[in-house]
Amino acid sequence: MLVLLAVVVVTVVMGLVMRSRAGRARPAAGDVVGVAPASHFGEKATLVQFSTPTCARCPATARQLDALAARHPGVARLEIDLTERPELAARFDVMQTPTVLVVDSALAVRSRFGGQPRPAEVTSSLTAVLDQEHTGA
Amino acid sequence: MPDTRPTTPAALPTSQGIDPRSPRFGAAITSVLLAVTLLLTLTRGTEAVGVALLAVLAVVFAWGGFAGIRRHPYGVLYRRFVRPRLGPPAELEDPAPPTFAQRVGLVITAAGVVLALLGVPWAAAVAAALALVAALLNAVFDVCLGCLMYVWLVRARLT
Repeated sequence: MLVLLAVVVVTVVMGLVMRSRAGRARPAAGDVVGVAPASHFGEKATLVQFSTPTCARCPATARQLDALAARHPGVARLEIDLTERPELAARFDVMQTPTVLVVDSALAVRSRFGGQPRPAEVTSSLTAVLDQEHTGA
Repeated sequence: MPDTRPTTPAALPTSQGIDPRSPRFGAAITSVLLAVTLLLTLTRGTEAVGVALLAVLAVVFAWGGFAGIRRHPYGVLYRRFVRPRLGPPAELEDPAPPTFAQRVGLVITAAGVVLALLGVPWAAAVAAALALVAALLNAVFDVCLGCLMYVWLVRARLT
């Protein structure tokens, strides 16, 4: 009985930690040069989504990011199936799908989301990139 | 400003998509059965019953993993008894992820049964505990651990 209780407690702690971290913006470095042809990137910013065929939240994330990109001219969404590009999973240290990168016009990674991004956080990440592009900073 | 969260149920055609609450309902049943299995394997005198129940669960995982999640017996229960009491789902989900997760469950539980039959101590209990963690995460937190593991396989270049 104690063992069962311990397993349940460990699971609940794991679940709470995963839930609190899922979809939050994290600062990120690096760039996405060479990930896709230049024409696939947005003029001002790109939402790069890493997916896999067995990813439960990837289709919903794709629709969410498409809607977000549609509201901001010059922003594109780029979805990459990691089973076709396994080397990218190692390069970007992807441990879960979807993983979303907010990338600026110079293809530098500005923020990163593990799991389906929280709408308010991905919007503010994108807005921060666009504001900076606008002011030319 | 339009809401970014998809609300239309037409994301996938009905013939292809599944109600995402169905696998969670199944995971809840699996969690209870795995908890019983764990207790049986840890109680003196009922170890063999626990291993037998784990074998039954492995067969159910195989069913979901190879016949497809839509033919899963818990999915039939869900559609017959639970779905009519709920509203329609906010959106439908691709059946591939939960089907893959069923296969992960099969590997874990089958390994536990085989190792237990070979006489490895605690094998059935460890397998039941690992599967219980995954099933509870799915049922309570809507986290599909099996789906996440697919990325780890991609990284290990095993797919």
